[in-house]
Amino acid sequence: MFNSTFNNFNEILDMGGHGIYVWSVYLIGISIIAISFLIAKKRIKEVHKKIKLKNASS
Amino acid sequence: MITAFIHKFSSPKSFVILTEKLYPFFIIAGVSMLILGWTWGLLFAPQDAVQGNSYRIIFLHVPSVIFAELIYFFMAVCALMHLVWRVKLAAYLIKSAAPIGAMITFIGLFSGSIWGIPTWGTWWQWDARITSTLILFIMYLGILTLHASFSNLEKADRLMSILVVIGVVNIPLIKKSVDWWSTLHQPASISVSGSSSIDPSMLYPLLISAIGLGFTLISLGILSSRSYILSREKNKKWVSERV
Repeated sequence: MFNSTFNNFNEILDMGGHGIYVWSVYLIGISIIAISFLIAKKRIKEVHKKIKLKNASS
Repeated sequence: MITAFIHKFSSPKSFVILTEKLYPFFIIAGVSMLILGWTWGLLFAPQDAVQGNSYRIIFLHVPSVIFAELIYFFMAVCALMHLVWRVKLAAYLIKSAAPIGAMITFIGLFSGSIWGIPTWGTWWQWDARITSTLILFIMYLGILTLHASFSNLEKADRLMSILVVIGVVNIPLIKKSVDWWSTLHQPASISVSGSSSIDPSMLYPLLISAIGLGFTLISLGILSSRSYILSREKNKKWVSERV
């Protein structure tokens, strides 16, 4: 079960001619998820900043 | 009694405190399981006899569409809680979960389209499964647009909840579309009640990827809901104290 299907790095990239489909899906999928995390973290920082400013002014 | 119980355990403050503690567990478990599941699926699972290596898209595609539906179901439960018991946390959770649902539905549609090119010879087909999933994506966008179009946030919460409840009819349609209609999309390979038609050497990495993606999306939901709850409750004393 844990023997790699591929013999070398080029075979992993090529995936029998399907590499372009497989890797592009994972690359774009992971990027979208990572960007969502960055946006969520940025929003928390912005909200904290707004609330601190409000607290300071009141 | 039920109302008192729900209101006691659904205060935004308790939710933020609890999820702040749970976040490290979900993010570490989620990312670790995704790395394990995807490495196993992409490099060690055997090649499919018919589809070759293109089937390896399954380890992202199937978990994505599972959670696209589960997130909507979660939103529908929250919508009922908001409409019946006036739980405001439930409305906050719908608003926080909808962009995540839209994002993961898009990944499901996109990965399926790319998978369709080498497998079906086309990236799109107006069959029941694909079309109902596209409707789900449009529903997510519609929910977000509806909420953004009202300046009265309480009214926006209520109307958003009603739309979510109406849209839940699409979930069983997506699930059963491959059984009820003749579709290009294949029937389900995995069954919770019966036997799965997928080999264990492919099934195990798929299950690990699915659980990993679930934990990762929960951690994203925790971050998203935290920022939304803090912005909605910014005039409350507990928010000022926490920040």
